[in-house]
Amino acid sequence: MRAFLRTDQHVRPLGLLALCIVVLTLADWGQGRFLSGATAFSTFEIFATTGPVALGLGLTMMIREFDLSVIGMFNLAGCIAVITGGGSPWIGLGLALAAGLAGGFAQGFIIVRLRLGSVAVTLGGLLVFNGLALVLSENRSLPYDNMPLALDLKAPLAAVLSIRSVVALTIFAVAAVVMAVTRIGRDVIAIGSDRRAAMIAGVDVNELMIGIFAFSGVCAALSGVLLSYSLASASVSEASVILVPAAASAILGGVSLGGGTGRPLGIGIGVLVLAVLGTGFNAIGAPPYVNDIAMGAILLTVAILDGPYLIRRLSGLRRRAAPH
Amino acid sequence: MAQQVVSVQGVSKSYAGVQALRAVSFSLAAGEIRAICGENGAGKSTFVKLLVGITHPDCGVISIDGRVRTVAGPQHAQSLGLGFVAQELSLAPRLSIHDNIWLGSAEVPLIHRRARFRARAQAAMEMLGIGDWDLDRPVSTLSIGQRQLVEIARLLARQARVLILDEPTATLTDAEIERILGVLKLIKARGHSIIYVTHRLGEVFDLCDAVTVFRNGEHVATKPVREITRDGLIELMLGRPFGEMYPAAPAWREGSHAVVVDRLNVPGMVHDFSLVAPSGKILCLAGLIGSGTNMVTRALAGLAHRATGRVTINGREMRLGSAAHCVARNVLFLSEDRAAEGIFHRMTVTDNLVATGLGAHARLGILSWPRLRRFAARLARQTGIDRQRLRAYAGNLSGGNQQKLLFGRTLERAEPGILLMNEPTRGIDVGARADIYRLMRELCRRGYTLIMTSSELEEVVGIADIVVTMYRGRNVARYEREAIEMTSIMADITHPPRATQAVA
Amino acid sequence: MSEPMSPWRKGPAVPAMPKRWRQLVVGGRRRLVVIRAAFTIGLAVLALTTPGFLSRPSLSALLTTVSFVGCVAVGMTLITLSGNIMSFSLGALVGVTAMIFTAASNWGGLAFGFAAALAAGALMNAAQGLVIGWAGANPIVTSIAALALIYGAVEAIGAGATVYPQADVSYGIFKRGIVGIPFEFITFMFVTVIGQLILFFTIFGRNLYMVGGSLRAAEAVGVRAWRTISGAYLWAGVFSALAGIMLAIRYSSADMDFGLGYEYQAIAAVLVGGTVVKGGEGSVVQTFAGTLIIAIIEVVLLLKGLRQEWQYLLAGLLVLAVVVLQTRGTGD
Repeated sequence: MRAFLRTDQHVRPLGLLALCIVVLTLADWGQGRFLSGATAFSTFEIFATTGPVALGLGLTMMIREFDLSVIGMFNLAGCIAVITGGGSPWIGLGLALAAGLAGGFAQGFIIVRLRLGSVAVTLGGLLVFNGLALVLSENRSLPYDNMPLALDLKAPLAAVLSIRSVVALTIFAVAAVVMAVTRIGRDVIAIGSDRRAAMIAGVDVNELMIGIFAFSGVCAALSGVLLSYSLASASVSEASVILVPAAASAILGGVSLGGGTGRPLGIGIGVLVLAVLGTGFNAIGAPPYVNDIAMGAILLTVAILDGPYLIRRLSGLRRRAAPH
Repeated sequence: MAQQVVSVQGVSKSYAGVQALRAVSFSLAAGEIRAICGENGAGKSTFVKLLVGITHPDCGVISIDGRVRTVAGPQHAQSLGLGFVAQELSLAPRLSIHDNIWLGSAEVPLIHRRARFRARAQAAMEMLGIGDWDLDRPVSTLSIGQRQLVEIARLLARQARVLILDEPTATLTDAEIERILGVLKLIKARGHSIIYVTHRLGEVFDLCDAVTVFRNGEHVATKPVREITRDGLIELMLGRPFGEMYPAAPAWREGSHAVVVDRLNVPGMVHDFSLVAPSGKILCLAGLIGSGTNMVTRALAGLAHRATGRVTINGREMRLGSAAHCVARNVLFLSEDRAAEGIFHRMTVTDNLVATGLGAHARLGILSWPRLRRFAARLARQTGIDRQRLRAYAGNLSGGNQQKLLFGRTLERAEPGILLMNEPTRGIDVGARADIYRLMRELCRRGYTLIMTSSELEEVVGIADIVVTMYRGRNVARYEREAIEMTSIMADITHPPRATQAVA
Repeated sequence: MSEPMSPWRKGPAVPAMPKRWRQLVVGGRRRLVVIRAAFTIGLAVLALTTPGFLSRPSLSALLTTVSFVGCVAVGMTLITLSGNIMSFSLGALVGVTAMIFTAASNWGGLAFGFAAALAAGALMNAAQGLVIGWAGANPIVTSIAALALIYGAVEAIGAGATVYPQADVSYGIFKRGIVGIPFEFITFMFVTVIGQLILFFTIFGRNLYMVGGSLRAAEAVGVRAWRTISGAYLWAGVFSALAGIMLAIRYSSADMDFGLGYEYQAIAAVLVGGTVVKGGEGSVVQTFAGTLIIAIIEVVLLLKGLRQEWQYLLAGLLVLAVVVLQTRGTGD
């Protein structure tokens, strides 16, 4: 449990979150639009949508891979659930999650057994899943005739949460506990920081990697289903709309592009940062582009600072500037 | 006769057409410390990997405690009581010491941090004299020497009966080495067996009961340590010297000093190193792994970004840290890792050969392929690469041909250059080696300055005109011409009395 | 896991081709070449026997549509060859350069419009290339950041409105084709030729293959990798800008919907064409072929009555198939 609260992993995302809240509160100029229950509720609704996807993607990034197909599975799951959930929403949910599991597992299997790069395989997966979603939905919005369910899913609990956001938070909590306390979590970090060493030490690297891709598929599917049910319709979202926030959240949450760092809690905070930015700017009346620019700027800064050559280049410049 | 803890019969292994091990037999008793010695490429690492299940033999039988076993993988090896500390450590830097000790162990349940495992880890640490370290520290905060101890602690915590250590002391301080040797003797007294793969002959005689020598993939001899001398051991490792392989050096003529290195420093690896290399000669840096030889050449080639010091080439001072700058000044580098840092596997031999000469064959930025192809053909002819291979992918070539290709890149420059080579004949068969030595002499004749590194003593003595020995990143001594001989070089690089400062 | 050394054999190209052209056109292994040849012939047969395929309007539409994504795909090829997998911002670049072209032409004439759009595309992408090459920033994250920044900036400046050309600006000369071939396709072919010439006849091009093949080996032979990578991104920006310009001309308008999703189609074309995703092997001509193959399949299926939504699915299956086939024979 001591390790759970180890601060160095979570300092950066927590700091960013605090910074955003402070900045937005100031920008609100005391008009009370930002710090309100409504804003918090919207924040958690966004969290419910982006969060699980970011978690799945983030876990693949932690083992130095990248699951591009989360977007496709997100869309596909929504379509499957709406189409098959006519009788009972649980059937739709079950089938969609099964699809997520199967799709993720298949990709993981291909990547691990054939030793292929994850980007290429998941790109294929993305196109296949998205394609299937487009075919199933005929590129229009599929209605889901269960308005009571939609309302239930969106109904505020304790003023700031909803069933959707509670589910998302639960997934994060479970993931955080597994990572901190179980052998699986330890092995994931080991694989991420030095895959070869983990293999020599005796970790079953292949099995775990396939499992992570499968988990990523399930997470994306869950998020897609819940969103579709809550909107009482399923449609195919543009790929970048989901990918950008998900990748950004993971990176803000401390997932290093070199692997081995990052924790579910950090990723969750990262998602919150983006959600706060999105709803906050909206609440204080800022135009939507501010959100895009802020997100882009943060991502770019982090990417540069995380660049492996940066320190070396800067010290090289310094050496050339100051003759010794 | 006491049952052998480990017994190996007739084991062979080949990788991609190269026979790494040939019908090797081996046996180890309980409570015995056995050294395994041999040159690079002799098969030591392959043998050890077979024992612990990282690879599998093509044929032959491995028995543990008298029962024939197929070691499926590292985890299985652990359950059989075999523990392995690799040369490149297998710790995950971002995990704590405790987590690393239990990483990959089959015994550990899902909720893996339990009191009983912690207690065993603590006990193992105490046996090694590091019981005061915090088990929750991330391994990334430890030095290499300290990590080595954690690796051994891992084996003890998992109750390995046979500890297999591959070059354990290569990068340790003297104090750490003493501690490890003491610990290993303690472990032996408790009935564990140890297999100790090393180049450090001093340690073989200090610590081990017997030594097994491998050469060219075969088991040459196993003798108790008291029945062999240091020189005898070296002779077994090297075999008969191949005198004919090394072309005669021309009459000695004092050349101008082409390369002057003054107080070169690479943090953690090279300390206050100085060197003077004349043109037209082969200067060899001799040292063990971790002695900094390869890093010196890398620094001269502009590939060591944190290097400081003064390097002057043909009178002009060089800027450190920029490989492009060095290539432009005709300082060319051949990496010890030609697969990752030399060859472009999926480009043709022609493309590879002309890689450094593109500028000379372009007009207004446009390349002329007829000229480039003729250029490549000339380079191939001079280095002995078959013309048929020019259009093949470089990744398909044998090791020897690949190395010749790398040499080919250095020919036909505007003026004779400085050639920095790390382990130029590593992994190359005898015939190709002879070709490469001839090539090196030819380059000398043309006025090139050659600086190479080698950890194969026989090669150092055979080819070098000047030898500079290194130990832990520092100069030890310099030998020229007749003064070059094996014993003093070996003494310098393994444990010289003069070098007392340890690498930080 | 370490990269195994692949026992690849360079197979024979179409026989009786002069040696130089062989190197230019085909870079694959014997088995892969045979599979591709069989596939292409089969596809050609299928296309030619589909009623309606060979009609002038059908072909013309095919050639036009293919060219927009095609130019972007050529640019994407350079990025992939450099070892940086793909860029997620090329689609947004197409849209923004279309708008810049229209606005700049309104302000200062067609020539100025061209210059402004090409320069903007070059700059916006080269900046990413610089960050990626010099600091080592992750290429995927950097392009995602650029995507967000471009959309945000466009929204901020123009509030998402569509830009239209003024009445006195005439695109007329560009709307006609040459001997019936739409001018967009001619541009696509031109871009392909330029790209191929760059790859094979300039030092920059050879450096690109080296950097993508093995970054460490390239640095060891003195290539300044950051310059090469920036250059690759710069050209990708130029070619994407060309696509944006063509779209603005074809549709006499410009907004950020142009280019939406192009990067996915582009990378699919690159991979199907045979360029390897980890870099160092492939060519622009192969991407040209890949673009055409995907487009022909889409048209044939459309003519056979399948809905347009099947395109993505098909592209995905093709990509998976190619990626898996490319590494067969590498062995354990």
